[in-house]
Amino acid sequence: MYYGNSEKASQKKWGENVAPIKSIRTLKKKRISWEEKLNREVKVDNDKEVQRIDNHSIEQLKMEITGAFGNTADLKMVESTEKGILLFYLDSMVDSKTVKDTTPVIYRTDRELSTVKELTSLCNEIFGGASFQLVGTMQEIYTAVLDGCIVITIEHLNQSLAISMMTDEKRSVSEPTTQTVIRGPKDGFIESVSTNISLIRRRIRNQNLRFERFTIGEATQTAVYIGFVNGIANNAILEEVRNRLKKIKVSAIFESGNIEELIADKTFTFFPLALNTERPDTVAANLVEGKIVILIDGTPFVLIVPAVFVNFFEIAEDYYQPYFLASFLRMIRYLSFMIALLTPSLYVGVLTFHHELLPTTLLLSVIAQREGVPFPAVIEVLLMEITFEILREAGVRMPKVVGQMVSIVGALVIGQAAAEAGIISNIMIIIVSITAISNFVSPVYSFAAASRILRFLLIIFAAVLGLYGVLIVLVAMVAHLSSLRSFGIPYLAPIAPFIIEDQKDVFVRFPFWSMKKRPKYLRAESEPKIFMESSPSPPDKGGGNNK
Amino acid sequence: MKRKYIIFFLSICTLTGCWDHRELSDITVVTGMAVDKSDDEKYMLSVEGINAQELNVKTASGFAPSIIFTLEGETIAELARKMNIGVSKHLVYSHMKTLIIGEEVAREGMIEFLDFLERNREIRDDFNITIARNVKAKDILTVTYQFQKSSALKIHTQLESFVQNWGGDPHVRLSDVIKAWTSPGSQPIMAALTIKGDPKKGPSTDNMKKVTPDALVTVDSLAIFKEEKLIGFLPLEDTRNILWITNKIKKTAISVPCKKDKFLAIRIYNTKTKIKGKMKNGRPSFYVKVRAEAYLDSSQCLEDLTQINTYSNFEELTEKEIHKGLSATIKKLQQEYKSDILGMGEILYRQDYESFKKIEKEWDKSFQDAIIDVDVKVQLRRSGIRTKSLLSNQK
Repeated sequence: MYYGNSEKASQKKWGENVAPIKSIRTLKKKRISWEEKLNREVKVDNDKEVQRIDNHSIEQLKMEITGAFGNTADLKMVESTEKGILLFYLDSMVDSKTVKDTTPVIYRTDRELSTVKELTSLCNEIFGGASFQLVGTMQEIYTAVLDGCIVITIEHLNQSLAISMMTDEKRSVSEPTTQTVIRGPKDGFIESVSTNISLIRRRIRNQNLRFERFTIGEATQTAVYIGFVNGIANNAILEEVRNRLKKIKVSAIFESGNIEELIADKTFTFFPLALNTERPDTVAANLVEGKIVILIDGTPFVLIVPAVFVNFFEIAEDYYQPYFLASFLRMIRYLSFMIALLTPSLYVGVLTFHHELLPTTLLLSVIAQREGVPFPAVIEVLLMEITFEILREAGVRMPKVVGQMVSIVGALVIGQAAAEAGIISNIMIIIVSITAISNFVSPVYSFAAASRILRFLLIIFAAVLGLYGVLIVLVAMVAHLSSLRSFGIPYLAPIAPFIIEDQKDVFVRFPFWSMKKRPKYLRAESEPKIFMESSPSPPDKGGGNNK
Repeated sequence: MKRKYIIFFLSICTLTGCWDHRELSDITVVTGMAVDKSDDEKYMLSVEGINAQELNVKTASGFAPSIIFTLEGETIAELARKMNIGVSKHLVYSHMKTLIIGEEVAREGMIEFLDFLERNREIRDDFNITIARNVKAKDILTVTYQFQKSSALKIHTQLESFVQNWGGDPHVRLSDVIKAWTSPGSQPIMAALTIKGDPKKGPSTDNMKKVTPDALVTVDSLAIFKEEKLIGFLPLEDTRNILWITNKIKKTAISVPCKKDKFLAIRIYNTKTKIKGKMKNGRPSFYVKVRAEAYLDSSQCLEDLTQINTYSNFEELTEKEIHKGLSATIKKLQQEYKSDILGMGEILYRQDYESFKKIEKEWDKSFQDAIIDVDVKVQLRRSGIRTKSLLSNQK
């Protein structure tokens, strides 16, 4: 799908079909019926101006191309007038060495090149396995050039040849920086989507693994791929993903975050509705579970949809470690989410409203520590939490050369000095640290943002209403969570709606051999995952591994 | 729709909250309360406000650990709110650990102020209720101590440990007292405290600095009530026995004579008491079944502990001793104090309701004639980490 002319087309479309705007209110209320919508989409296709290259002369073609690309420095056109060959490409997008090696042969050949067939067979000889396509319209030619092809045009032929010679400039595959594991594969995605696909394909050597290409972004023409395992991924969800991607009409896409926001079911939420990862093994595992991945050229972060609440507490390593440890760590993760979310607000709530909730000795110790602190508890908490957020942001943005400053300033000056000066109490430092550390436990960075922001809301409510306020926010949060959906899947599944079969992989991880089916909430097309009869055990016990 | 939500949230914020908002720096935690009879007015209330900094090792600087302020008035409730006459911060009563009632107040049956303690939102039902014997309740509250520093905290910890190890504190809480007071078949009890040493030297930090403090709060006895009036005190030995009969004891230790001037020490670590009550021939009769597990803690008799007979012999001796103690206590209660603090009436109420209904009015009298049989079975499980006593290896 190419949208080169769609700007013009869409202007026309809107101008014709939509009644003049009376007021914003009427515009909001106006509903567009389905048929109207469908008709419109068909029209867009018809409106496209198709400019074929049937009877262009070389000169005309050159004019067209320079007209389209302007005087951009990296456009190279090589002309051979006696044979009527025009060869052009973007210098910056193709591999110059290959061009140097192969293209002269075309000029040297003695063959007649009067039909497309002859041209094709010649190019087959020269370029061998390099993929090429026949392009017939100017639009197709532009896209091919932008994709890193060299285009060979012969005068009076109605099709040209576009041969992909994209440069191979990319960083090598290295360990992911955000989602690290102790045991497990150490490779991570990179900015080149073709490498990323190959990383996935190498893990799932199966003909049912499919990738579909979309081009999104009218200015950037970014390649976006969806990947799924045919026969496992739910077809309805798959169709929904395709539809949502098709509907995106924006000028630029640079990162998976852009796509995530554009295809999410609901954007007014703190919680991410798509999982992002840098890890090919996570992607592969999710594909086999029946999820769908979205890869975007130019970013190492891959989206996995649909994503539910519990997915953000699962990591690839859960399945590489013994299941007791994995279950324990998973519960630690849930716990630390609660700690990161609640500790500061509980501190404020208990200390200003519910003194009776603390054991006497603890209360006395807290009182002794807070003696002489000039601020109310809520101001103290907000002061420290905001200071911490500033430090954290500075730590991320700061040039690496001066990076050490953050830790010195943060730990010494803010922490120790503030406590010694009596501006904050010592216990406050403990609260801020445990909150901060717990927040970093979250395996997916975008999910930690939810607890990071909600925390402040909770603090304010705790300051006004005490634990009652904390409860109100929590109730509202759970209500909000249960209203969320990710590609039609309830966000709290499999907890609400409760699916008993799926509990094997929620708060604890059951042993591998016992998880016989794919998660029910994903509605996979085929359910069985493990084909063994029973658990491993000695032969006389009828163990599954010994049959 | 959105406006509805906004109104909803605004109303939450504006209509509720904040009224009970108190910063920690604005409060003083009250740990103890002492009620005495006032000369001019009805009550004299003393509260102990903790100086939290003195209780924290890091911030302590040797000043007094608490402040005790006394007011006189007609109701405890009013006095509790008037304390700011002398105390700077807002007093928080939710962490009160000990209530000490003066002997005079109890003798005159003026414990109706318990109504305030039960009614109040802040005050919890987890503090010890005690009686000050021979001294003023306020004096007990003012005695300092090395470890918990504050007297109220010390008493709370002390009584708790005592219950765990030997059982000299009846372990009563507000609800127990009220229940015993109001129900027809039982009477309230409380632990009685007194001061060993000079009560005048108690309220000083110097008292904390001595190995043998000048004044020390000790558990003295058990205060026995009849309705709301204090009628007497029972020695600690009887307290333990009463707990034993009412199945409240956790662990205890007893000395059992095995020969002349020779004793066994038996540590009881698991015991259960069941009481069955019935009217027989117009007299209430009770069967108290005590089952206990024990180990030999010390033996002054050089009998061979490798023989099973020795054990059964010791068991028998112990059973007899316990039986003797329990029966004596029961007799004392029936004849001397004429007060059913054991809650026998309640047992009859549950197990033989029809008969109890008939004698409910004069239960106190019936209790005096009640036949109470005690049956004790002790199982001596082991003899510590030693079989033969060192005494048997003497030269």
